[in-house]
Amino acid sequence: MKLIKFFILNLCLLAITQTQAIEVIDILGGKANELSVAVTPFVGDETNNIHNVIKSDLTRSGFFRAINIDAVKSFPKNIEDVDFTFWSALKSELLIIGKVEDNGDQIKVTYDLVDVFKEKLITTLEFIGKKNQDRQIAHQISNLVYEKITGTPGVFHTRVAFVKKIDNKKFTLNVSDMDGYNSKAVVTSTQPIISTRWSPDGEKIAYVSFEKKKPVIFVQNLKTGERKLVANFKGNNSAPAWSPDSKKLAIVLTYNANSQIYLMDADGSNIKRLIRSRSIDTEPTWSPDGKSIFFVSDRGGGPQIYKMNLDDDEAKRVTFEGRYNVSPRLSPDGKLLTFITMEQGSFRVAVQNLISNQVMKLTVGKNDESPIFSPNGHMILYSRKLQGEKAEIATVSLNGLKSVKIDVGKELTQEPTWSPFDF
Amino acid sequence: MKKSLVYVSLLSALMAGCSSTPLNDAAEPGAAGTPNSLEESLSLDKLRSDSLLTQRSVYFDFDKYEVKPEYQDIVNAHAQYVADHPNAKVTLKGHADYRGAHEYNLALGQKRSVSVKGAMNVSGANDDQIETVSYGEEEANQNCQGNECSQDRRVVISYEVE
Repeated sequence: MKLIKFFILNLCLLAITQTQAIEVIDILGGKANELSVAVTPFVGDETNNIHNVIKSDLTRSGFFRAINIDAVKSFPKNIEDVDFTFWSALKSELLIIGKVEDNGDQIKVTYDLVDVFKEKLITTLEFIGKKNQDRQIAHQISNLVYEKITGTPGVFHTRVAFVKKIDNKKFTLNVSDMDGYNSKAVVTSTQPIISTRWSPDGEKIAYVSFEKKKPVIFVQNLKTGERKLVANFKGNNSAPAWSPDSKKLAIVLTYNANSQIYLMDADGSNIKRLIRSRSIDTEPTWSPDGKSIFFVSDRGGGPQIYKMNLDDDEAKRVTFEGRYNVSPRLSPDGKLLTFITMEQGSFRVAVQNLISNQVMKLTVGKNDESPIFSPNGHMILYSRKLQGEKAEIATVSLNGLKSVKIDVGKELTQEPTWSPFDF
Repeated sequence: MKKSLVYVSLLSALMAGCSSTPLNDAAEPGAAGTPNSLEESLSLDKLRSDSLLTQRSVYFDFDKYEVKPEYQDIVNAHAQYVADHPNAKVTLKGHADYRGAHEYNLALGQKRSVSVKGAMNVSGANDDQIETVSYGEEEANQNCQGNECSQDRRVVISYEVE
C-alpha cells in the first residue's frame, strides 16, 4: 500500500458500490459456489502480467473460477465498451477489464469490476506506480475485487517465508510474495532450519536452527538484517510462538527431560516455565486474544491438541477425532483451529470449528505439514509431499475447493509461515 | 561440570604431547605417557571391542518411545559402563522418521532419548553423565517406505571421548 498511490476516479461510483451487487459469500457456512469471472487482458499491458496475476490470485482463493476467454478476439477498455449479451452468453458473472497507460517512468493502471448479469459497474479504480510495480498493482486490484465480493480484505499483497533445502547440504530461510515471486534468502546455513514464525508486528521471523549441533532459537530482524540467538539452553530449544503483541515468545525446552513449554520475553530474557507435565508438551500457539495457549501433548497416549488459559493453568483437550493431531494454529478471529491429522497413514490439513467442534479435512495428504491461516483467515498455507517427491508449499482455500502450489523453484521447500497484513 | 573435566584432561594430554615433543612427534600424543591414564580410566578398548558396547543404536516403533526388550541388553551394558566409569560422558541422540510434524518428531526423538536414559538410570548410570538431545526427523530419509523407515526411529549412543 505504501508503494502505490491509488485514487478513486469518480466519487459517484462509490454510490453504486454501496448497494452490493452480488451476495457476500458465506465463508464459514460452506456454501462455496465459485463465482465465474472473466479476467480480460488489460489493454496496453505488453507483458500481460496484470491479467495473469489477477487471474491466478482470484483462482487461488477458491471463490472465483476464471472462465476461458481464449476464443475472444477483442476486449473492452472500460464499461461503455462492454457487450453484456456477449459476456452473459459466456456465463461470466463478473468481468474485470482495464487498461495500462505508459507515462515514461510510471504506469497508470485503470480497472473496472463489472456485474455482468445486472449490467452494472461494481467498482473502478486507478493506480499509478513505477513500471516494475505492475505485479504489486495487480495484487492490489485482486485485493479490492476480493473485498468487494467476499466482504473481507484480500491477502494478495502479503508475503510468505519458508525453508529451502538445497542439494541436502544447504538450508535457506526465504521470503517471497505470497504467490512465490521475488523470493530472496534472508538466512543461509549448512544445518537444518525449521519452525519459522513471522511476528504479528511484521518485523521479525523466529526460527529453529541446528547450527549448534542441537536445536536453538534465532530471531531474524527483517528490517535491520540483525540475527539474534534468543534461546540456547541445555538440551533442545524449539517451537517458538509469538504472543499477539510480539513481545513474548512461548518456546519449548528439554534440559535433560521431555519437551516442556516455557515463556520468555522476545529478547530471550525472563524465562519461566509455563506448563508442567511428565509428557511431551510442544508446538505452543497463542489465541489471538493472548489469553490462552493451544499446544500438542501426548499425555493421553498419542499426540492431541490441548488448550490452556493463561490465568487458570488447567489444560483441556480440544481434538478428539483420530489418534494423531499436531501443529495447531488459530484463525485470526480465534473461531477456527487448523492442524494436521493422521488417518490411515496419511497426514492431512484439517480445520475444527471451536464452537461446534465439527472437523473438516481440507486436503488429501499424504504428507501435509505446518498449516497456518492467511491474515484474513480465508486460506491456509502448508507444505505437502507425495511419496518419492520433494516437499513443496501450497495454499488451500477454507472451502477445500482449491489447493495450489506456491512455485518457488525445484528445491525441497517446507516449514512455511505467513506475514501479517502489514509488514 | 564433568564434561569440562574430561575435556580438560584430554586437552592437557594433548598439550603434554605438544610440549614434551617436537612438532613431528606430536601426531601421536599417546607416546608422551600421560594420555594412557585417560585410555585406561575410560577402558576405551572395551568400548571399542565389547560385543554389546559396540552396538550404539536402539530402535523404536512408529510414534513409540518404549525401549523394546530386544535392546535391553545393549542399554544395560552401556549403563554398566557409565556406572563403572565416572569420567565417561554419554550423549543419547534421538531420531524420528520423516512422517508427521518436524516439531512433534523433535519432541518424540527427545522422548526416546529420555526413555533410554531412564532405562540406563535403572541399571545404575548417573544422570549427570548422560546428556539427551534430539534431531527429530532432520537426518531421516525423506522418502523411506514401510520397514525401511524403522532405521530412522532410533536413539544413537555416543561417548564424548570418541
